[in-house]
Amino acid sequence: MDPLTIAGRTFRSRLLLGTGKFESNEIMVEALERSGAEIITVALRRVDIENPQDDMVSAIDRERFLLLPNTSGARNAEEAVRLSRMARAATDIEWVKLEVTPDPYTLLPDPVETLKAAEILVNEGFVVLPYIHADPILALKLQDIGTATVMPLGSPIGSNRGLHTRASIEIILEQARVPVVVDAGLGLPSHASEAMEMGADAVLVNTAIATAKDPIAMAQAFKLGVEAGRLAALSHPRAPQRQASASSPLTGFLRDE
Amino acid sequence: MGHAKINSPVSKPMDTLIINGEKRQFSAKEIPRNLSALLAQLGVKEATVVAEVDGQLIRAKEFASTPIRDGQRIELVRFVGGG
Repeated sequence: MDPLTIAGRTFRSRLLLGTGKFESNEIMVEALERSGAEIITVALRRVDIENPQDDMVSAIDRERFLLLPNTSGARNAEEAVRLSRMARAATDIEWVKLEVTPDPYTLLPDPVETLKAAEILVNEGFVVLPYIHADPILALKLQDIGTATVMPLGSPIGSNRGLHTRASIEIILEQARVPVVVDAGLGLPSHASEAMEMGADAVLVNTAIATAKDPIAMAQAFKLGVEAGRLAALSHPRAPQRQASASSPLTGFLRDE
Repeated sequence: MGHAKINSPVSKPMDTLIINGEKRQFSAKEIPRNLSALLAQLGVKEATVVAEVDGQLIRAKEFASTPIRDGQRIELVRFVGGG
């Protein structure tokens, strides 16, 4: 597969994996392995003082995987910037998946606060990957201020509903000068394929893999779905036609006319 | 007699730290001298943690040189699973 480049770093995999909701660290590690992912997202939370040994990151091979901290839980730009700085202090990695989701019911991203936080973080030298609604104008503004990608959602986080924002993502893809990573709501490998067939540069998946009955098999299924979609996009598929078009010659039939 | 309480340990008020939003009290003897000592007391592995002391970000390598005082607000965070 052709490599993916984000902010000057090159990756072989076009599947980014979230690490939430796995039943155990062992299953997560095996799913990471099977998915082929190289970029994996993590969140920052307070240490549970009553259970201080609980530590999932030590299960992850930091030589092989790029940790992409997210700012989940941030309700505004200020909280997102604070979380980003903490994440950078913890990893010495400047990469951050910026997400500002003030409404816990829909978990939809706040475009105003996301843009505000992105400006601050880009100025502070962060490599910013913002999670956004599939909003072409916002996507343009973000790439103009220097974000490393844009990450439009397919449908709400964790909903498994698939690519409900297709028309807007098409516009984002036409305008994009940075990689477009379709994030959130992809529930099946076919959804990931669809996004990749449209020309998305990568997809990010968490819930659909982590909550499948067999997360390890599903991780591989998504890997294959992403690869299939990418290969299809590179093959320049033909547009749909109204009329049938025979695959075999319309001559030489075994009948006398 | 009857005046000994001035120097008795029970008369000294406890030191308080707000750790991750929860009030914790320490006797003068118990209160850790620095952030490293606090983490050791709480049983938290340093390498995986980042801290804020009164809103100021502290990296793991600065924990041992960051003094702890009565009344400070301390945030201890680490990575968890997320999408």
